[in-house]
Amino acid sequence: MTMVPQGGGPVARGQGGGTSSLYDVLELILDRGLVIDVFVRVSLVGIELIKIDARIVVASVDTYLRFAEACNRLDLEAGRKAPAQLPDVMGNMMEGGARGKTRGAIGGAVEAVTDSLTGKSSKSSEPEEEEEAPRRRRPAARRPVRREKE
Amino acid sequence: MPLYVYSIAAKDHPLRLDGVSGVGAEPNALRTVTAGSLCAVVSDIAEEIRPKRRDLNTHQRVQELLMADGVILPLQFGYIATDDLAVRQALESNEESYLGALGRLEGCAEYHVRASQADEAPLLQQILQDVPEASDLNDRIRSGDRDPSLPLALGEIIAREVQVRQEALAAGLTEALVPFSREYLAHPPSGSDFLNLSLLVHDEHKEALRTAEANLAREIGSDIDLRFSGPLPPYSFVQ
Repeated sequence: MTMVPQGGGPVARGQGGGTSSLYDVLELILDRGLVIDVFVRVSLVGIELIKIDARIVVASVDTYLRFAEACNRLDLEAGRKAPAQLPDVMGNMMEGGARGKTRGAIGGAVEAVTDSLTGKSSKSSEPEEEEEAPRRRRPAARRPVRREKE
Repeated sequence: MPLYVYSIAAKDHPLRLDGVSGVGAEPNALRTVTAGSLCAVVSDIAEEIRPKRRDLNTHQRVQELLMADGVILPLQFGYIATDDLAVRQALESNEESYLGALGRLEGCAEYHVRASQADEAPLLQQILQDVPEASDLNDRIRSGDRDPSLPLALGEIIAREVQVRQEALAAGLTEALVPFSREYLAHPPSGSDFLNLSLLVHDEHKEALRTAEANLAREIGSDIDLRFSGPLPPYSFVQ
């Protein structure tokens, strides 16, 4: 997993959606959207350069060595900072106008995240239904696409 | 003359296209092709269109301009029709499904969420703390054991743990945001991202979603980079 520097802050958005970085919406523009079969698509040769390849967390010696190196370099004596989790979101979300129906979801989120932090692989994060795989190359061991309709 | 096709809308969409130019090095003005109760937004092209940043931006800008005035079906980037007749035929032969999609997407926009690990150190520290096998290996390496199999064994454990934890976090974020959506679509993340989530959100839930996003971003802390985009044309939900 090499870190790719990206523009835009964590919450980059404007009134008209015009401030989304092109990088983050590129996949939507190129790979989603309506397709009309009788029309011809322009050649996308060259676009591969700005398309970002599938996430690399797959088993590879390079990845392992990089992680080992990163662990060896950690300052284990430094003040330990807990990694990201969503403990207090529940209360805030309740104030935030999402009442009632999100309670379960937030509980679930906290549970999933808590499980992840205690090292248990949470069963609840496994999909209950399999659907069609996306058209893009799929990295190994990713969750299948889920889609819900009202 | 060939046409570049941007979007499909109902005939009663305001379609304010004056002064807006299309794709290409010498762009022509946008215009519409109408058939029955639908119309397509197009521009004439005289040259071969290449997938350049300029044209990707134009494609996106046209969608955003149109979606501000009413529901549209955004096309995927880069579709060319031979002439007006081809566009009219496409509209006529798919009229029912396009009208259905327009109805389903009425009042909605797409919101897109991505997450990546901005700072790995806290996550790695936590894993070493939680997995004795990993911290033992790390201690041996740090104390000078040169056995070349140790870093591989350590790295394998860490890589697996990172993936499990990031996927659980992605699932948690998804669960937290999905209630604001009518439909959602999770795609395999790319690059260094571990979350790639599209939500179809009705305008009435827009503010609640933004509040939730702001809260999540604040709560999750600085070691995760959460990136929200939207409102966007409903690219992921047109089919």
